[in-house]
Amino acid sequence: MAHCERASKPLLQCLRSSYARSLTGFQVQARGFQSTAGVAEAQSEQSQPFHKNPDPELVSSPRLERRLMRQGTTPIGSRRRRAALQDSPNLPFEQLPYQCFQEARNVLLADRAEKLAEIEKMRQRIARVEALSTEEVGGEQSRKSRLGAMQLHLERLKIHADINDPLVKRKFEDGQGDMSKPIYRFLADRKWREYRRKILVQRITQMKVVPDVLPHCDPSVDTKLYFGKRQVQPGDFVLANVSTSAPKLDVQMFERGEKLVTIAVVDPDVPNVEADSFDYKTHYLAVNVPLSAVNTKVDLSQLSDDSQVVLPWLPPVAQKGSPYHRLSVLIMEQKDAKPLEFATVKANEADRDNTLLRTIQARYHLKAIGAHLFRSQFDETTLEVMNSIGFKGADLELRRKKVEPLPYKRRNPSSFR
Amino acid sequence: MLQPRLLGPLRALERAFVPSIRSAQHSFQPQSLIQRSLSASITLPKTTPSISRTLLPFSQVRYASHASQGTANRHSRDPAGKRLGAKRTGGEYVVPGCIIFKQRGSKWFPGDNCAMGRDHTIYATQAGYVRYYADPEKHPERRYIGIVFEKDGQLPHPRNAPSRRKLNMVTIPRMDPVAFQSDMVASIDENGTQVGSVEAVNAVSGPQLRPGYMYREANWQIGRAAEKAGISAMPYDRRNRWLAWRKRQVRAERAAQMKSLKGKKKAGKKGK
Repeated sequence: MAHCERASKPLLQCLRSSYARSLTGFQVQARGFQSTAGVAEAQSEQSQPFHKNPDPELVSSPRLERRLMRQGTTPIGSRRRRAALQDSPNLPFEQLPYQCFQEARNVLLADRAEKLAEIEKMRQRIARVEALSTEEVGGEQSRKSRLGAMQLHLERLKIHADINDPLVKRKFEDGQGDMSKPIYRFLADRKWREYRRKILVQRITQMKVVPDVLPHCDPSVDTKLYFGKRQVQPGDFVLANVSTSAPKLDVQMFERGEKLVTIAVVDPDVPNVEADSFDYKTHYLAVNVPLSAVNTKVDLSQLSDDSQVVLPWLPPVAQKGSPYHRLSVLIMEQKDAKPLEFATVKANEADRDNTLLRTIQARYHLKAIGAHLFRSQFDETTLEVMNSIGFKGADLELRRKKVEPLPYKRRNPSSFR
Repeated sequence: MLQPRLLGPLRALERAFVPSIRSAQHSFQPQSLIQRSLSASITLPKTTPSISRTLLPFSQVRYASHASQGTANRHSRDPAGKRLGAKRTGGEYVVPGCIIFKQRGSKWFPGDNCAMGRDHTIYATQAGYVRYYADPEKHPERRYIGIVFEKDGQLPHPRNAPSRRKLNMVTIPRMDPVAFQSDMVASIDENGTQVGSVEAVNAVSGPQLRPGYMYREANWQIGRAAEKAGISAMPYDRRNRWLAWRKRQVRAERAAQMKSLKGKKKAGKKGK
């Protein structure tokens, strides 16, 4: 028995007994019992026992959870909640027999109704301002600022209307939130900023992607990177044979509307022995990639060659002995969501080597909204990848240059002879 | 020397009493009353507690016989200098590992191409020219020591400028790691005896002439003897407390045996 099961048992028993006592009078007319038994009936209908065919909504033992996850379905919600649901009658909120709870729900419902009225009022006001002519409002500038402030307030009201709804919270926690709705976008954004964004920002600043590749980056979209099925955390080392094919991106926007973005993968760590420094190499460049809050998946290998991909994927390889390569994936928003002219971009950016992303950014007025990072170094699979892509210098190795000691520390200077 | 502080008043008491005692008791010894009362106080009946016994357990005084030996130990409290401070000035050329600043605590922090050692020593990690600077954007109060590559380079760099780095590497033909060498063999021919190592795949099984002029099997084959014979050790089970107890017992016995032997040896030596 899992800990949470044991922990929630007394609570459940208490709930069940009080529920039974209070419901004895009116359980007949209450529709609840039918829906309560829903889960239990469904179980009894199944010929298989629970451990053979665990329900992702109810499974609570770690072993069964693991089995489910191996099959590809993730259990829903927290383990504590699933354990509690196993024995609960699963009544809808409005039929729960707790007076205080119902009173609280009424307060929340009243608040929501109030907010909805405000939203309606705000919409009407916005429509009124939009209908006014420019002279009446007092110039284009003031009209713009007024409208902007009103829109902002409207968005805030929309979130406030739903933020206290227990069903919304539950749906979001179950991962069933509809990202086309502002409240779920708001919740997802908040969750992302709480942990994942912090990690990302730390990685790109500590590994110096930000001053090396781009001067600034304030990530506002959640970016996940996959090679095959495996997700790569920001800054992970990726084997050379894993990264031979282009990765898949999952770019979650938290704003409404659609954006066109440019996606670039840049390696700022190509060793240049002659100049005793590092060069840049663009491993991938694609423009005019549409993104929205609901359209998040971008497969870099599936983008169209004749309208989007400027530079196709070049598998990253690191020469033996060279310091690790930071393959930085940058997602840059195109100005006003306008498409770039593909032919000119393709003509201008044909060179992979030493094209600075800063230059591209300035040339096409791009703004970095998302970043990701993975690293590659020489490993046992690098040589075959080098051979398959025809990498020059596969038979060479980098070694540290010997440090010339200061004159007075030399073992055998000419002055000794 | 510690002396009871009450001795002074007691002496005064003694001075007051003694003439009367002397006049009353002719057999009085020329010994002070206090000492007598101190030594006799334990044997005295409880109904008449002596003066000294009731007054003695008070604080004691240290007279200046030791502490007044003033400045004799001054040098032990004035240690040698630790040779801290700057070892390289600004603009001086340094190579990796050069110590630039020795300090107690982090008076200076390592900036570009510098690092801080275990005792907060700042040393160079790149060859270049030393710069002492402040970087208010990075930290408003810290002072940094950094290295620039050009003689007239400036620090700090702008925050959003790409970092300036050097590769400091040369290319050589790639060397694959040498395959695992398993054992030593020796061969005798007209050139003399040659000792070398062979790879596991080339190692001939069976006895060969090996170092030490022995015909024997390779070490790795000897090591696999138990495996070949099908002898397997019992897998270790940490919950098997019976086995653990027996092992511990054997170890204790052995230790006791060794200890007794040691004692005997010593005893024998002493006897001689």
